[in-house]
Amino acid sequence: MKGTFWRRAIRHPGFMLGALLVGITVAMAIVSIVWTPHPYDNLRMALKLRPPSDVYPLGTDHRGRDLLSRIMVGAQTSITVGLIAVSIGMTLGVMLGAWAAARRGWVDEILSRFSDLVFAFPAVLMAILITSVFGASATNAILAIGIFNIPVFARVTRGAALTMWGRDFVRAAKALGLGPFSITVRHVIPNIASVLIVQATIQFAVAILAEAGLSYLGLGAQPPVPSWGRMLYDAQTYLYDAPGLAIYPGLAIALTVLGLNMVGDGLRDLLDPRLRLMRVG
Amino acid sequence: MLEFLARRAAAALVTLVLASVVVFVVLEVLPGDPAEVMLGTEARPDTLAALRAKFGFDRPPLERYVSWIAGLTVFELGNSHAYGTPVAKLIADRIVVTLPLGLMALTWATIVAIPLGVFAASRRGSPADWAVMGFGQLGISVPNFWFGILLVLFFAVSLKLLPAGGFPGWRTDVLESLRSLILPALALSLSEIAILSRITRSSMLDTLREDYVRTARAKGVPERAVLMKHALRNALIPIVTVAGLLAGFLIAGAIIVETVFRLPGVGQLVFDSINNRDLIVIKNIVILITACVLFVNLLIDVAYAFLDPRPKVSA
Repeated sequence: MKGTFWRRAIRHPGFMLGALLVGITVAMAIVSIVWTPHPYDNLRMALKLRPPSDVYPLGTDHRGRDLLSRIMVGAQTSITVGLIAVSIGMTLGVMLGAWAAARRGWVDEILSRFSDLVFAFPAVLMAILITSVFGASATNAILAIGIFNIPVFARVTRGAALTMWGRDFVRAAKALGLGPFSITVRHVIPNIASVLIVQATIQFAVAILAEAGLSYLGLGAQPPVPSWGRMLYDAQTYLYDAPGLAIYPGLAIALTVLGLNMVGDGLRDLLDPRLRLMRVG
Repeated sequence: MLEFLARRAAAALVTLVLASVVVFVVLEVLPGDPAEVMLGTEARPDTLAALRAKFGFDRPPLERYVSWIAGLTVFELGNSHAYGTPVAKLIADRIVVTLPLGLMALTWATIVAIPLGVFAASRRGSPADWAVMGFGQLGISVPNFWFGILLVLFFAVSLKLLPAGGFPGWRTDVLESLRSLILPALALSLSEIAILSRITRSSMLDTLREDYVRTARAKGVPERAVLMKHALRNALIPIVTVAGLLAGFLIAGAIIVETVFRLPGVGQLVFDSINNRDLIVIKNIVILITACVLFVNLLIDVAYAFLDPRPKVSA
């Protein structure tokens, strides 16, 4: 089964291209932990706004820092925020969704009210609420994006799990005397895993976009930690002198998100072409 | 039909009340002392006490919540801490920028996306279809604020055709004001076009498979009429639903795009209020935006119920 998945995956051009784009970002993030062409936070005003050269492949920013090094470290920020936010949303959302599908009735009703409530606040508003009281930080951005992801996963899990509860093997497990918890853990979750994996990939893309937006507004990771969104905000002042500053970090965001979306779509084709997913953000 | 709508309206109202509780608790109860949030921990005790008295923070939370909601129902939103003017006036001054911006973006998105989706569906599998799908994939991956910056680079910095930002005001110069909304509306509409064209395409493909479309073609109805009259009309339900949902996200997107173009809209007001820690403004804007999102969703339900009689049975 595994062998056939990879054999099919290699023949899926969208999936492979997406995986390549995501792979580049992940590799950049990992490499930047141990090595960057220049120190990412080295302020040298004498070298500010230099055009691309052999020494500075993408040029320098308004404080003389190497743009390539900052984009590489920025990948760490994007991936960390996205990964943790989606993990929070997925863990809590899957638990809630599976619980609602198993119990139905009032649990289900409360879950749908909760989903409506969270969906009424777009992620940016949620972040604004949190940061206006607790201050702007990467942690609060993660919290805001994470909370927004809970009902996304809860709804998808609930829908997929409900279908499973109607299937014969689940009925058989019930007849054998298994409780709702055991059935959920042993039979329901493993059978809806592919739906969740695809949704997680797409939400990862949405989370990276949200993080970029929040850090653009100054509500994400704080200086000196580089973030792609904030780099774009800073670049706007120098559009005439150094347009590259406004192009490369945006390209990094767009290509990473594009890669994740392509991997998500590819996985959907490869794992289960009938999946119906949500795309919100 | 009426019962279905009443139920949806009641659910929206419950969500709105819950949302107001969340907003109130997060902004005024969780931090302990809202006056300290607004002035900072180093503020002098007498200044803090004065602010508490001014905004009524010294009253019990429940009493404050009730008076806030009572005020909201008559659009009495209190005074801004930073500006010293009524919040209702601040919002009214800014909405005249944000509302036209959102409407322009939504109109532009609909005008472009629906023909694009119909075109792609009518040429399924062709290079044109692939191009539209590829554009859709790209459109949802590009952050709207970066697209905005690229538009500024191209149309304002290089070609000098349109203003890079700012807003002269409707009373000063209507034409120039409209011109300064063009690039922001384009930036805001990119992801909406991408999502809407994909939905239109898939919805059209679903309806093109229906028997009545085959019958129309068999009768010799011209292809254009088949597409527009028979298929598109029936494909509209999911399109309207998604367009409505996107309207909610447009409001959120406007916060960022207004910052890019330095437009004095509601988004900028929120942004400034965060920096000024003006909790009174933030509290009211967040709940008003939430109310707008819920209202738009309710309108979609109404439209849905009129367009298609089925959901009211299952809902």
